[in-house]
Amino acid sequence: MTPASQSDLLLVQRVRSGEADAWEELIARFEGRLLAFVEHRTRNRAAAEDVVQETFVGFLTSLPNYDARRSLESYLFSIAAHKLTDHLRREGRRPALPLAAPSGTNPSSWEPQGPVRPASSIVRSGERRHLEESALVAALGEQIAAYQRRGDWQKVACVELLLVRGWANKDAAARLGLSEQQVANIKFEFLAKIRAAVRRQGLPEDVFPELYEDPQ
Amino acid sequence: MTRACSQAELEAYLDEALPAELMARIEQALRNDRNLVRQLAAINARRDAGVHSLGEIWRRHRLTCATREQLGSYLLGALSKEAADYLTFHLEVVGCRVCQANLADLRKQQAESHDAAQTRRRKYFQSSAGYLRREK
Repeated sequence: MTPASQSDLLLVQRVRSGEADAWEELIARFEGRLLAFVEHRTRNRAAAEDVVQETFVGFLTSLPNYDARRSLESYLFSIAAHKLTDHLRREGRRPALPLAAPSGTNPSSWEPQGPVRPASSIVRSGERRHLEESALVAALGEQIAAYQRRGDWQKVACVELLLVRGWANKDAAARLGLSEQQVANIKFEFLAKIRAAVRRQGLPEDVFPELYEDPQ
Repeated sequence: MTRACSQAELEAYLDEALPAELMARIEQALRNDRNLVRQLAAINARRDAGVHSLGEIWRRHRLTCATREQLGSYLLGALSKEAADYLTFHLEVVGCRVCQANLADLRKQQAESHDAAQTRRRKYFQSSAGYLRREK
């Protein structure tokens, strides 16, 4: 997980001991970026300020559950995203979704395709999932850092478009001025490194279905 | 919508993490497109089943986000050309909402009056300080 900075850790410790000055400082440190995040969607300053206000109240009420190893900024943004979603639902802008796949839906429509065992058959604890996620974060971070050290920014951009935005190879190739084969090669190389890291950690392969998809 | 959204984009939609224009387009499409509703419900079900998505993990852990200091250097033109070009890509093509918000905040700090920010912060403090407790 993205680590908390030392300065944020100390600030949270002081807030946890009830120091009003620390709470004021935390608000001053983060309110501007949270307001920009929310206002970009609401397009309404007053509504955005209300959502940020709810975010800070939400932070204090959830503080006993906050894991201080996690980045404070990321935690605040995740609360803001939830409060924003609630606000947009109340405004009727964001349609509500069913909580799970509608009844009658064939589970095979959402389970990963391919030869791997469906993950729904695997019962794992939250702690186990957390360990898997941490291992994957380390593997992804290591490979991204290796590209960055070599100044291989185009590879970082390419993999980010493919994985974070889910663009097709041909769209990523057109955007980055590469051939489709070059994009496929970059994807293949990246996924091979991550697969190797997953195996080294002895993690189950079937909970990472994307690692075993056809790179084309 | 002009093109179908990718699975990764729908996951980002659920996390309020797509560029605002794309978020609005999906919200609009959801009113009439039952298939899109089913796709999103299926993603929620996959998450419940514990399937990890690389894009989701990348985004959640902000593996390629800039630090506040890097964004400040970007505004001052102090990053190398390659690093600055990549950051522009991350902001404008990937459309990272958190980095966009941080950058907008840094820009605003240069322009906004101190009094306006102080008034707002005081309001947040007064409305939340009642929840401040010493943890046992």
